[in-house]
Amino acid sequence: MKLSKTNLFIGIIITVSIVAAVAIILRTAMTTDRKTTIGNVFIYDIKEFSKTDPGLIKYKETGKIKTGFQNPFAIAIDSGDRIYVAGDKSIRILDAQGRILSNIKLIESPRCLNIADDGSIYVGMKEHLEVYNSRGTRTAKWESLGQNAVITAIAVSGNDVFVADASGKIILRYDKSGKLKTNIGKRNPDKGITGFIVPSPYFDVAIASDGLLWVVNPGLHKIEAYTYDGDLQASWGETSIEIKGFSGCCNPVNIAILPDGKFVTCEKGIPRVKIYSSNGNFESVVAGAESFADTVGIYNPSAGAEDSTKALDVAVNSKGRIFILDPVEKTIRVFWLTNRRT
Amino acid sequence: MKRIVLLIIILLILPGAAFGVQRFPPPEFETGHELPVTTVPNPRSEFLEYLDVVMLLVTLSLASYLALKKRSRRGLFFLGIFSLLYFGFWRKGCVCPIGAIQNMSLALFDKSYIPPITVIAFFVIPLAFTLFFGRTFCASVCPLGAIQDILLIRPLKVPSWVDNSLGVLAYLYFGAGVLFAATGSAFIICQYDPFVSFFRRSGSVSIIVIGICFLIIGMFVGRPYCRYLCPYSILLRLTSKGSKWHVSIAPGECINCRLCEDVCPFGAIRKPTQVQKDRKEGKKALTAMILLLPVLIALGALGGVSAGTPLSHVNSRVRLAERVWMEDTGKVTDTTEPSDAFRGTARPKDELYAEVVRINGKFAVGGGVFGGFVGLVIGSKLIQFSLRRRRVEYEADRSSCLSCGRCFAYCPVKKDSAIADA
Amino acid sequence: MKEEKDKLSRRDFIRSGIRGACLLGLGGVLGLFYNRARANDLVWQIDPYKCIQCGRCADNCVLEISAVKCVHNFNMCGYCRLCTGYFNPQPNALNTGAENQLCPLGAINRTFIEDPYYEYTIDESLCIGCGKCVKGCYSFGNGSLFLQVRHDRCLNCNDCSIARACPANAFKRVPYSQPYVFKEQKG
Repeated sequence: MKLSKTNLFIGIIITVSIVAAVAIILRTAMTTDRKTTIGNVFIYDIKEFSKTDPGLIKYKETGKIKTGFQNPFAIAIDSGDRIYVAGDKSIRILDAQGRILSNIKLIESPRCLNIADDGSIYVGMKEHLEVYNSRGTRTAKWESLGQNAVITAIAVSGNDVFVADASGKIILRYDKSGKLKTNIGKRNPDKGITGFIVPSPYFDVAIASDGLLWVVNPGLHKIEAYTYDGDLQASWGETSIEIKGFSGCCNPVNIAILPDGKFVTCEKGIPRVKIYSSNGNFESVVAGAESFADTVGIYNPSAGAEDSTKALDVAVNSKGRIFILDPVEKTIRVFWLTNRRT
Repeated sequence: MKRIVLLIIILLILPGAAFGVQRFPPPEFETGHELPVTTVPNPRSEFLEYLDVVMLLVTLSLASYLALKKRSRRGLFFLGIFSLLYFGFWRKGCVCPIGAIQNMSLALFDKSYIPPITVIAFFVIPLAFTLFFGRTFCASVCPLGAIQDILLIRPLKVPSWVDNSLGVLAYLYFGAGVLFAATGSAFIICQYDPFVSFFRRSGSVSIIVIGICFLIIGMFVGRPYCRYLCPYSILLRLTSKGSKWHVSIAPGECINCRLCEDVCPFGAIRKPTQVQKDRKEGKKALTAMILLLPVLIALGALGGVSAGTPLSHVNSRVRLAERVWMEDTGKVTDTTEPSDAFRGTARPKDELYAEVVRINGKFAVGGGVFGGFVGLVIGSKLIQFSLRRRRVEYEADRSSCLSCGRCFAYCPVKKDSAIADA
Repeated sequence: MKEEKDKLSRRDFIRSGIRGACLLGLGGVLGLFYNRARANDLVWQIDPYKCIQCGRCADNCVLEISAVKCVHNFNMCGYCRLCTGYFNPQPNALNTGAENQLCPLGAINRTFIEDPYYEYTIDESLCIGCGKCVKGCYSFGNGSLFLQVRHDRCLNCNDCSIARACPANAFKRVPYSQPYVFKEQKG
C-alpha cells in the first residue's frame, strides 16, 4: 500500500470518525442521566403549594424517639402520659422520656389503638377488635365487623367504645363488653347528616373533653361533632390547597384534641400538621411539608409492608406536647410550643 | 367425594386470588352501577411470530436456490426487495438475527432471562443455512443488506488496506455488543442500527441522519454496514468459511478474463496466485506473525481488563451506585431522578453496591476477553497476509462473498446448472 | 497437479473441520437453551410500583405517539368528587372546565354516577403517557391511575428506548400470556 497523500488523508478521516463515533456512543449510552425533554406543562409539580410561611410555625421539634418497628401504624397516649406505639405485630409502651416500659406481642398486625382510663388497651386489627390489659394479656376478642371492614380508629370514653369502619363508612358504638349498641353517621337527610365520604383507609375519631365525638369526614374535608346518640352538633373545615384548608381527595388523615380543646390535624399528599382552634379556625402550623419526606402518606406496598397505610399519626399528652408518628423515619417526633407560657 | 368438593371450591376461589392484597374496597353504589373493567389489549398474535420464522426459512431456501442452482441475479434482486418490504418495512426490522446475538449473550450470562423460541430460531437458522450454502442470508434475506444493495448505483473500488483495516471494526462491534449484552448493560446493536429509523418511519434526529449518511455512502461504497460493521457477519464469515457448497463464478473452466473481479462491488473475488519466488522469506514472515499472535492477545487482554471500569459505566446500575455514593459522602449536593427513585424504594444500599461489584467483575473479565479477542483478530489478519494461497482460477472469497450474484451474468464461460464443486 | 490436488483436499479437510466445529457450536447453543427456551414471546411492561412518573414515557418511545398510556384500575378508585388526578391543585370550580383539569390534553372523562361519586375514565386516543395525572392520583389519592405499555400500539422492540431511559428501572420483560402488570394483582 502506498503512503501517498490521499491514502494518508483517508486514513486520518477514518480514524477520526471512528474515535468520534465511539465517544458519542459512550456518551449517549447513558440516557438515564439526561433530563426529561418533555415540557413543564406535562410535569406535576406542587412544590409552590408545599412551602410553609415560617411565621406560621409555632412549634419546634424537641425530641425524637425511635420506634424500632419496620412498619409503625399508630400512636396513642393514656391518661398517665405513657406512649403506646402499634406496629409490626406488637405494641410498645414507652414512658414520657421514650424509655421502653413493656412490649405486647400480638397475633395479627394492629391498625389503631386507644387506651381506656382503667388501662385496658383496645386494639383494632383489620376487621375486628381485641382488648388487652395493662400487663399485656388478651382479655377479649370481639366479633369481626365483616370481611370487607377496615377499622381505622378507636375512641374510648366511660363505657363506650367507638370504632371507625372506613369501608363501611360508619362509626359503631359498642359498650365495653363488645356489644354493639348503635351506629353513628349513617346518611339521614332528615337529621341533616350527609354521611361520611371515605375514599381511602383514613377515617379518624377523637373524643373531646366536653363529651362530643369528633369524626373526620375526609371526602368533604370536614371535622364533624356528634353526640353519642348520633346527632350532628357542629362541623368545620374547608377545601383548599392553601395552608388554611385541607387539600387532596381525603384529608385530614388523623386528628388529636389538645387539652384546651384545640385540634391537631395531620394531612397526606402535602404532609403537614396544623393547629385549629376549638371552633375550627386555622391557627398555626406544627410542622410543614419541609419537615417530612415526600413519600409520607403515599400507598406503596412494594416498599415492603403488607399494607402500608403510611400516613402521619398524632397523639397529645396532658401537657399539650404533640407526638407525631413518622412512618418513613419510623420515629416518634416530639413537638412543643416554641414560646411556652407556663 | 369431599376432596373433589374442596378442590372445586378452591378452583372457584383461585381466580379471586389472582387479585392480590386489596387495600380498600371501592364504594358500593346505591344505583347498582357496575364498575367498568380496565381493557387489556393483547400484543401481536403469537401465530404471526411463528409465521415470521417460517418466512425466514422460505426466503433463505429460495435465496440459496437462486444463488447456487439457478444462478439468477435478477431472482436474488427481487427476492431482496421482497425481504426488504417484509422483514424491513412491514416487521420494522425487529427481531432480526443481528440483534439476536445480544439476546443469546444475555441469556448465557443472566439466568433470569429466558429467550423466546422465535429469537433463538432467528439466530440459529441463518447460521445453519450459511454452513451449507454460504452467505445467502446476506444476499437477499437481510433487510439491512437489501436496502444498501438496492441503492448501490456507482460502486467504487475500496483499496485493500482500507478494506482490511475497516473489517476489524466489525469484530470490535461484535465484541462490544456481546460484552454489553452479557452484562445486561445495553443492546448497542439495536440502539445504533442505522436503518431502523427508515423501517419504523420514525426516530430521533441523530439516528435518521446517520441512516441517511450510510445510504449516501452506500450508493458509492458497496454495502458499508455489511462489510465493516455488521456484528453478525463475524459469525457468518466463520460459518461460510466452512460451508459445504458455495457460490462459484465460472461453472466450468475459468479463462481468467477478470470480468467478474471488475464487477464485484465488494472486492470479494480473489485472483489466482503466482508461483512464489522466495519461500524462505515467506516462512520467516509467517513464523514471526505466529509468534506475535500470543503477544497481541496478551496485550489486548491487559488493555481490555483496564478498560473494564470505564466501560462498565454504560450500565445504569453502576452509574446509579456511583451517584448514590457521591451524594451520601457529600461530594455532590443535589440529587438526580435515578437516585431519588432508588431512595424511594426500600432496597438497601449494600445490596445495590454488591450487585455493582459483581457487574464490575463481569466487565473486568469480559473486557479482558474482549481485548484478547481483538488481539486475536489483528494477529490472525496479520498471519493471513503472510500465508500464501494457491489459486488457479478467480474465485469468490468464502468469508467475504455476499452471494449477490452480480458476477454470474458477466462470466462468459458456458453456464451449466449443476452446483459447482468447492 | 498432484500438489494442487493435495492442497485442495487439505483445504477440504480444514473446511469440513470448520463446518463440524460450527455445527457442534450451533448444536451446543440449541442444547443449552433446550430446557430454558420459553414458547412465549416476551413483551415490555412497566412495574407501576417502581414508576416515578418522570414524563420520559411520553417522549422516548420510538413511535410518535407513545405506546405508554395511563390506565385506570377501577377497583382501587375512591370515586371522589375532588379527584386529584383529574383536577389541578387549585381548580376554580369542580366541573369539567378545561382550566380546572390537570391533564394537558383533556384525556380524562368525568361522569357523575350518584351523589357523591364520580367516575373517571381515560380516553386513550388523547393520552400521551406523560404521567401527570398518575402523579396527582398517587400523591393525594389511592393511586388507581398508573402508566402501562399498551400492546395494541407497542412495537415490542428488542431494546425498548423508554426502558433504556427510565430512571427508576421500572421496565421489565413479561411473558406474552400476561402482558400487563396491574396494581393489586398477583404477579
